Amino acid sequence: MRLLATSLTLACALVTHLGAVSCAAQAAQRLSGELAWTIGYDPKTFDPAKVDDQESELVRYLTAGVLLRFNRFTQRVEPALAQSWSLSADGKILTFKMRPGAKFSDSSNVTAQDAAWSIRRVLLPDTAAPVAEEFVSPASVRVDTPDPNTLVVHLPKRIAGIGKVFDEIAIEPMNRPSDGRVTAGPFVVADYRRSQFVRLRRNPYYRSVATGSPAYAAGLRLDILENAEQEIRLFARGEYDLIDELQPDYFELLRHRDPAVARDLGPSLNTEQMWFNQSPAAPLPSWEKAWFASREFRVAVSQAIHRDDLARIAYLGHATPAYSFISPANTAWYNRNISAPKTDLAAAKASLVHAGFHFSGSQLIDATGHAVKFSILTNAGNEARQKMATLVQQDLAAVGMHVSVVALDFPALIERLMHTQDYEACLLGLENVDPDPNAMMNQWLSSSPDHQWNPSEKTPATAWEAEIDREMNIQASSTSDRVRKQAVDRVQQIVADQQPFIYLVYPNVLVAISPRLEGVRPALLAPNLVWNADSLRLRGAQ
Amino acid sequence: MRSKFAANCLLAALALAAIIVVAMPGASYSHQDRESTFASASKAHPAGTDALGRDRLVRVSAALLLSLTGAAAASALTTAAAAGVGVVAAFGPESIGWIAILTCDVFLAPPWMFLLMIVRSALPLSASPMSSAVVTFVVLAALGWPACARAVHKGALNLKTSDWMLHAQAAGLRPTQLVRTAVPNLLPVLLPQFLISIPAFVIAEANLGAIGLGIGEPLPSWGGMLLELDNSAMLFETRWVYFPIALLIIVLLLLEAVAMEA
Amino acid sequence: MKVAGDVVRWLARTLAIVLLVIVGSTVLVRFAPGYLSDAREMDSRYGDAVRAELSVEAARSGTLTHLLSAELQGWMRGDGGVSREYGVPVSELIVPRLAVTGELTLRAIVMAWSLALLASLFSSAARRPSLLWQAPAALLLAVPTAALATLCLLAGKGGPVLVMALLLSARDFKFLHYALRKAWSDPHLLQARAQGVKAHRLVLGFILPSIRPQLSALASLSIVTALSALVPVEVIFNVPGLGQLAWNAALNRDLPVLLSATIIMALAVTLAGLASDHPGEWRSA
Repeated sequence: MRLLATSLTLACALVTHLGAVSCAAQAAQRLSGELAWTIGYDPKTFDPAKVDDQESELVRYLTAGVLLRFNRFTQRVEPALAQSWSLSADGKILTFKMRPGAKFSDSSNVTAQDAAWSIRRVLLPDTAAPVAEEFVSPASVRVDTPDPNTLVVHLPKRIAGIGKVFDEIAIEPMNRPSDGRVTAGPFVVADYRRSQFVRLRRNPYYRSVATGSPAYAAGLRLDILENAEQEIRLFARGEYDLIDELQPDYFELLRHRDPAVARDLGPSLNTEQMWFNQSPAAPLPSWEKAWFASREFRVAVSQAIHRDDLARIAYLGHATPAYSFISPANTAWYNRNISAPKTDLAAAKASLVHAGFHFSGSQLIDATGHAVKFSILTNAGNEARQKMATLVQQDLAAVGMHVSVVALDFPALIERLMHTQDYEACLLGLENVDPDPNAMMNQWLSSSPDHQWNPSEKTPATAWEAEIDREMNIQASSTSDRVRKQAVDRVQQIVADQQPFIYLVYPNVLVAISPRLEGVRPALLAPNLVWNADSLRLRGAQ
Repeated sequence: MRSKFAANCLLAALALAAIIVVAMPGASYSHQDRESTFASASKAHPAGTDALGRDRLVRVSAALLLSLTGAAAASALTTAAAAGVGVVAAFGPESIGWIAILTCDVFLAPPWMFLLMIVRSALPLSASPMSSAVVTFVVLAALGWPACARAVHKGALNLKTSDWMLHAQAAGLRPTQLVRTAVPNLLPVLLPQFLISIPAFVIAEANLGAIGLGIGEPLPSWGGMLLELDNSAMLFETRWVYFPIALLIIVLLLLEAVAMEA
Repeated sequence: MKVAGDVVRWLARTLAIVLLVIVGSTVLVRFAPGYLSDAREMDSRYGDAVRAELSVEAARSGTLTHLLSAELQGWMRGDGGVSREYGVPVSELIVPRLAVTGELTLRAIVMAWSLALLASLFSSAARRPSLLWQAPAALLLAVPTAALATLCLLAGKGGPVLVMALLLSARDFKFLHYALRKAWSDPHLLQARAQGVKAHRLVLGFILPSIRPQLSALASLSIVTALSALVPVEVIFNVPGLGQLAWNAALNRDLPVLLSATIIMALAVTLAGLASDHPGEWRSA
């Protein structure tokens, strides 16, 4: 008995000690006045010219000084390091007047030469800067500095929304690129621990256009953390000040605990949609290709889906049924008068019968005698999307279609979607960071590799795809807002009629904001909560 | 003896109950009652409903039958393979033994997840959920044996040099007879391996859902239900989320009781 | 001389294992779907830049021999090649993580073995086998690692060491329980118990020595289980160790990092096997 008691005590002591020593959730030590939140993975680069992923883009947004800033709240281009700017009548000459007194974080002055050097570096083919593509033919762009405070950029042709492009070009000291360590923005990169965090420190020489002073927060810490459970725990303990992307179930959990903390900002600009593989190169049997190419088949599928259930059940009510690629949150371009197929089971069945299908019991059979069976591919790891796929599976069973759901990891999914075209249907989401439809050109131009249902067409495969190409080119080149809106409305109507993408829902923007965090003005465009990082501060901090 | 008999009866009763629940007219593991998601226990749904309004009792029963059969078969296969390799390596010629143990060591290191991805890409996308499940358990069984084989090999070597084995050899027993006598003495290694593999395969099947294998919707996956426990939002939503794991623990204890007397 | 011969044979065997593992892993990773794909291809802003990167990688890894020689060159240089995901030498990524993972594994194994040994000594010594002792082990085997982690987070106590130790101890307990039950039922033990020899004398003097051969076999099995439990534990708890690095490398198809991680795993497995082999048995292994 004594032996048993002693051994049990020893065991408990051992467990408690070793258990307590390493706590389940620990964030890095918070410095005074520092704000903290998480990012999903290590930024791939700190060189602002080479940014080609989301987290690197965030670091650039927070650290880089730019000539023009696209204000995520007002959705207007505003001067930043440039005091003023103008575009010539033919749209080919941009003139910037530099803001006097602007300095880099190492106290050197920001001059037009620095700006010119930075822009030229971005345009160089060796830099391979993704943003250079926005200039259409970067080699033909000329940058001049007639005096130390003036910068002139000569474009080969008019580019729609050219102002926004400068939001992505960081102005760095001439001949001294520093990977974010010397910047003209509100913060500088101070420390980076791989897989742990990125620490940004306040730039004392930065002057906010709005307040005339440096950023309020002494620094920012971006912890690299993908685990949602840990993030929620640490947020609840006050270790993080905000969560900028919440899953619906965690949103509800936080909301029950403290309704003020969890905020549903309404529909985002993003869409969740399903589409069928219409590529002639797809290794699919001919009868399946015939189904997917049939407009009536696609419309019937759209009519069989209960979008209200998808929003209510898969997103716990935090999503809005979608019928077009322009979300109602995109007030400038949204059109409520687009007529799209709504849920109507009888009409769906009639459509299918009209297209040559017939029902054998509860199974749908096509004109050649094949039972309608196909798979829906989606990516693993997104619970809401997988629930939607299962809900759609039952909806389509009601019109006799036998659907299987397959979730793959992203690289394998992309290989099928974009390289081998070895898939039947796909259910994915599309992120729209820019409300202007011009940013969606790659999606709609039939020759583009991102033209998901039939990538890289040599010539448009159908008349309606040709019409979409025409209208998108009109909106890209026109200077009249009215003409552009007309063109985009026409594209929306074609898409509603033809259903190449069957839109499902617009997920809402779900965020959590600590009650101690002040200055937050949530916007619909990314970065939703920290677009005004220089105005954010913790209550009670200096 | 009595407890083994009782355990056997209880296991059979569980299986029978699960079959009855699933076979009852009107019972469906896939029908979504969309107006009552996360419903609590009621006459229509004795164990409530899940996130998509599907009856939890029917789903857990179907999952029990499906996953348990698959996991138990895969465990038996993998344990038998480990036993086979370990015994052959110990009692067979030295070169065979050398190759077998080298194979075990080589097998333990590589990232087999990629083999599973290759298997998934070889399967047609519209393979039925059942065939995907069968393939998953077969592959799991094929990959699970090396770790245990080494332990079996060690145990078999110890037996080979033990006194009574030397006596038996001296008495003229043939190698196959020696092996048959040796195997029951390896049960202290084989039985725990079998018992541990069952829940490991149940959960592994669910984890393989991330690369497209596993039991596909709308078939219920027991491992998938267990994985729901990692979501604190789910834990606060309903107490019924503990139902699958409670059942698994009961099944494991019953299997343990059956194995104990062996 | 004999020892030198054994060492040379063991080294040759280890080298053979490492080479086979390198070739096998390269084949698996290169030909699994998604090696030349990236999620950013779907982003219209970054698609072209990413496609350019991928075509460079496609040229580098066109055939298996190309790829293997590129990797071997990295090893000759001593830095293990350049990581596809981070763009830095692999050694820079691995070396800081070795200590973290080593410490986690060691502490977890020590704790697991202490728990398992204590529990199995009591469970096996009971005159009648009781399921009560098996219940905690059954619970730990049935609960997924992620769920254990969530429980720790909710309780605000415990961490990666505790979770890994609990997972391992449940498995070790099962093996130890069966080995010890057999030992307790040996004739000389039954006689000693009948004659009233004290429990701790029985354990220290008879039980532990008699299961020593099995213990060494179980030790290698336990180490292998620990190595495979490492990845989920490190990923879920965000421990900056080798397991987390290997997992990210697998998701991003980062072959140089994966190969290095796999080689370390192969070496660890071989060493675990060595630890459990008796010197006389090296010749048959």
